[in-house]
Amino acid sequence: MRAEDKERVLVEVTSRVVQSRIRAAARGGPPLDHVLNDTLYHERKRLEREPDTPARRRDIAFWEEIQRSLARASEEELRELLRRVVQRYVLEIMGHFSEPMYHAATRVVPHALMGLLNGVSPQRLLHARTEFRRIEDTILIGGEAESFRRIARMGTVILAPTHSSHLDSPVAGWAIYHLGLPPFLYGAGLNLFHNPLVGFFLNRLGAYRVDRRKTAPLYKDTLKEYATFSLEIGYHNLFFPGGTRSRSGAVERKLKLGLLGTGLRAFIHNLRLHRPRPNVYVVPATISFPLVLEAETLIDDHLQREGKGRYIITDDEFSRPRRVLEFLKGVIQLDARIHIQFCPPLDVFGNRVDDHGRSLDARGRVIDVTRYVLTDEGYAHDPDRDAQYTRELGEAVAASFRAYNTAMTTHVVAFAVFQTYRRLAPHLDLFRLLRTRGGVDSLPLADVHQAVRALLERLRDADDSGRIRLTPLVRTGEVSDIVADALRLFGTYHTRPVLQRRGDRVFPEDMNLLYYYHNRLTGYGFEDALAALPRREAA
Amino acid sequence: MSTKDAKNPARDARSDRWNRIGVLGGGSWGTTLAQLAAAAGHDVELWVRRSEQAEEINENHTNSRYLGDYRLDEHIVATTDLERVATRCGFILVVVPSAALRDTARALGDFVQGDQILVSAAKGVEEGTFHTMTQVLREETCCRKLGALGGPNLAREIMAGKPAGTVIASAYREVVERGARALNSQRFRVYGSRDVVGVELAGALKNILAIACGVATGMEMGDNARAFLVTRGLAEMVRLGVAAGAQEHTFSGLAGIGDIIATCFSPLSRNHRVGLGLAAGKKLDQILEELGQVAEGVRTTRIACAWARQLGVEMPIAEAMYQVLYEAASPTEMVLQLMSRRARYEADGRLIDAGP
Repeated sequence: MRAEDKERVLVEVTSRVVQSRIRAAARGGPPLDHVLNDTLYHERKRLEREPDTPARRRDIAFWEEIQRSLARASEEELRELLRRVVQRYVLEIMGHFSEPMYHAATRVVPHALMGLLNGVSPQRLLHARTEFRRIEDTILIGGEAESFRRIARMGTVILAPTHSSHLDSPVAGWAIYHLGLPPFLYGAGLNLFHNPLVGFFLNRLGAYRVDRRKTAPLYKDTLKEYATFSLEIGYHNLFFPGGTRSRSGAVERKLKLGLLGTGLRAFIHNLRLHRPRPNVYVVPATISFPLVLEAETLIDDHLQREGKGRYIITDDEFSRPRRVLEFLKGVIQLDARIHIQFCPPLDVFGNRVDDHGRSLDARGRVIDVTRYVLTDEGYAHDPDRDAQYTRELGEAVAASFRAYNTAMTTHVVAFAVFQTYRRLAPHLDLFRLLRTRGGVDSLPLADVHQAVRALLERLRDADDSGRIRLTPLVRTGEVSDIVADALRLFGTYHTRPVLQRRGDRVFPEDMNLLYYYHNRLTGYGFEDALAALPRREAA
Repeated sequence: MSTKDAKNPARDARSDRWNRIGVLGGGSWGTTLAQLAAAAGHDVELWVRRSEQAEEINENHTNSRYLGDYRLDEHIVATTDLERVATRCGFILVVVPSAALRDTARALGDFVQGDQILVSAAKGVEEGTFHTMTQVLREETCCRKLGALGGPNLAREIMAGKPAGTVIASAYREVVERGARALNSQRFRVYGSRDVVGVELAGALKNILAIACGVATGMEMGDNARAFLVTRGLAEMVRLGVAAGAQEHTFSGLAGIGDIIATCFSPLSRNHRVGLGLAAGKKLDQILEELGQVAEGVRTTRIACAWARQLGVEMPIAEAMYQVLYEAASPTEMVLQLMSRRARYEADGRLIDAGP
């Protein structure tokens, strides 16, 4: 956030959160002392679990003081206490973004990132840039990138990508930079700031801090209002609408609507204030990796009592620099490519938007979206109505994700092999299948080829009708080349190879990871393609 | 609200628009809904296809083809101009036959705006796509505030001033609120629901049962048999409904059981009359010709069976009706076939080993 906007944001966001609480209390909602006590309770619980650091001691001192004042505060003083608490949250969220630093940093980032990828020393990095593989060759930008660039000039944009790795934000950040767009604000988990290298860039790439350990509703209100107001004053934002990295490996189908809904709130505010460029647009995007840095941790978490996994993971591969390095080296050496696909822009109601920034109905007729928020009192918020609009936006974003998901060789081969196993042991539940492989230790390579061939036919049909995207190799390659490419990738980086070929047989060495990469292609009904194959007896 | 707003002409135009109720479709149910809205104190614009029908309604205040001599409220103005209704009314009820709904909605989509409310009172599912009527409205217009209306609402009883109740379902609270304001009166009570799919499917699928019950009545199978048909029929409606995303409890409400009881046991129901004709050994074409109106259950039987097969849901009664309607199976044969199904547990359909 630009320095000149910071003061304004601090004042406006604080006042909005405080005023809305005061209004709610006046309308019979929770009184202010309850709000403060509730916040205090959440903060105390959080602090109990945290290790002793200077920051924690400062926090404790702050909250103890609030508690002391709370006991005998008048209504007037309660408002002041509330204001102090919210202001503290806003300051903490804002971070230290500055535009000149952004430009300096973005010029360095690609090289620094490539340096990391090549595993060289900073000295070599500075002197011999030319020998590196260019980042443009590693991160491929596809889909409707032109529309994305164009729409960002017509209103404020929320970029909403799929989320499978902490490397997603650098990838998205690089794509934004490469397309020549101004920096996007995004809420990065506090734990990311702890990684010194990443933290350095996050601080300068428009990231603000989201502390997921802070569970108080007042904190969440503040975060949402911060995002809303930043959109109103023209800052593009980056949200991961999945909320957290996909644990199963599948493309997100259920989205977190809280942050997504800030776009609509900002739009209504803009209309009410007659701002000149009121529109807020949502551009979904998919980011696909042939191998995912944190795959092992994520799928383990997913499988530990499905769904009851940890929401915040701080001790994964991302926190171990050597793993990050190994991963990046693997990606480079294998000539692997990361794909980011921009989907067609949407308005905050989930309607498609044309090249002039106008919303279209499903039949392509231009429509006036201000009508959606018009009431007898003019343009107004209506929490019930707006929640439904945002659900419909969420459905449109999820549909975009599905259509722009990029099937890579690793996903295709994992899907074919896992589904073959699934068919060999139809009566086993998932966990048993993953643990025992149904007693089948390997498949004939010919069977794998056959399954991949059947799947490819369906995938290419789906690509033709715009239901999914394929990498060039998956689109036009020979079955044997596709399988060979996946086996090559699966043989590197992960602790155990996901799949390994020995002679004319293919051995799944890590069923959990096989399942993880397979999941990327679930939700399309491709399972049928394999169900029609003749079932061979296991060897 | 400030006094400045109150003088705002745009605002006045808007409030006029909300006091005027639009009804698309001048069949018996559309006209009856128009009558209810007029009775609740609104001006009503009724869109009909034929100009002679519009003239009759405007001049004689009758709609004789569908409602005989019943006199219509003078606040109902009929027109063949869709644009007029679409631009002048905030709240619009869509009551055209389900087969014509997509075309009507597409035409409507040229005129409506995002703040308007569309509520479907049509009873059916689209052939081929298996989309509900509100889904079609969503696909063909820019409107988001959509709803569905359903319940035990036999048009002629309502026209005769007898009391009744209905459900309006929508994901948007405003739709339910405005719907209640549009139709509520001492003789007509409106309930709300959030389960749009449930209300729509209950309303559509019950017509299959109405035909089956008509057959049972015509064959003089007795009240036990009809109750048996209806209860097992409800179970298969719920199965398909839940597979399509409906809430089970909706089927035990007004739009479910309520509508089933009225439709399946009343000789006033068109679908019931189709069943009577079948039992009398008449051909379907002949029955429909004599009826002179659309009996949605005939199409719905075909569509529901195809949908159920796709979703892997068992609907033996609907399948039996399909055989009778489209494969010229005899009703007696079908009853025998239904009665000779293997014994099962009622709740979950597990088979009972009842010996050879």
